[in-house]
Amino acid sequence: MKRSYFGVISLCAILFMDIVFMQLLVHQYFHQNYKIVLLFMFCNIILFPIALYIYKQEINKGGQSHEKK
Amino acid sequence: MTDWNNNLPKNDDNYTHNINRNNERSLDRRGFMKTLVGAAGVFAVASLPWGTLAAKELMGLSDKEYPRQKIVDITNIAVGDSVEFHFPSEHDSAVLIRLKENKFVAYQNACTHLRCPVYWVKDQQEMVCPCHHGKFDVQTGEPTAGPPRRALPEIIVEVESNSVYAVRVKRYET
Ligand code: FES
Repeated sequence: MKRSYFGVISLCAILFMDIVFMQLLVHQYFHQNYKIVLLFMFCNIILFPIALYIYKQEINKGGQSHEKK
Repeated sequence: MTDWNNNLPKNDDNYTHNINRNNERSLDRRGFMKTLVGAAGVFAVASLPWGTLAAKELMGLSDKEYPRQKIVDITNIAVGDSVEFHFPSEHDSAVLIRLKENKFVAYQNACTHLRCPVYWVKDQQEMVCPCHHGKFDVQTGEPTAGPPRRALPEIIVEVESNSVYAVRVKRYET
């Protein structure tokens, strides 16, 4: 069985970026830098399709799922 | 006809193969990735309301003018004392402090950490948040100690014919 870590690791990275952007977004909102808020919102939204894409690419890589043993 | 009795059905050749949930409590790589993608989706959706509010602010609704509001008569607030009031709406509590004979400052007193009300402590000449001991500089509203990182929003006040009026909320300069 060949393991594939690329999907898991990159999705973790994406989620981490999501958390960081969210934090920055909320802070910038209260600092009233509304343009930066929109920028971070865009980043967060664009990260989701990227995550979905990686998932679709990675779903069948690596070993078989244990349910189908 | 094939006799299925005592035989495992062929893979996916039936409608019940997914009832086999022997491993439903274990998380495989695929399930984990699915969770991650779902969480990313939640973040994407959760950032929408903030963006909407920000866009609203950008589209001219910003720098709102509120009707000026009388806070207190000068005779009712001694030098060094404070009064609480609400501005611009009745849900935004604020505090007015008379620092000198003719110097008034006012801030929205929801702590910039977790929104506890901030009080003026006369003896310490500081604004103190009781929740996690955040402290704010009374001259500028900047946080000086504790968890808060952002200044309290300042309210511009005016003195007119022996009363103090709240005029508007000052925007951050950055
Ligand atoms: S809420 Fe004011 S310090 Fe935490």
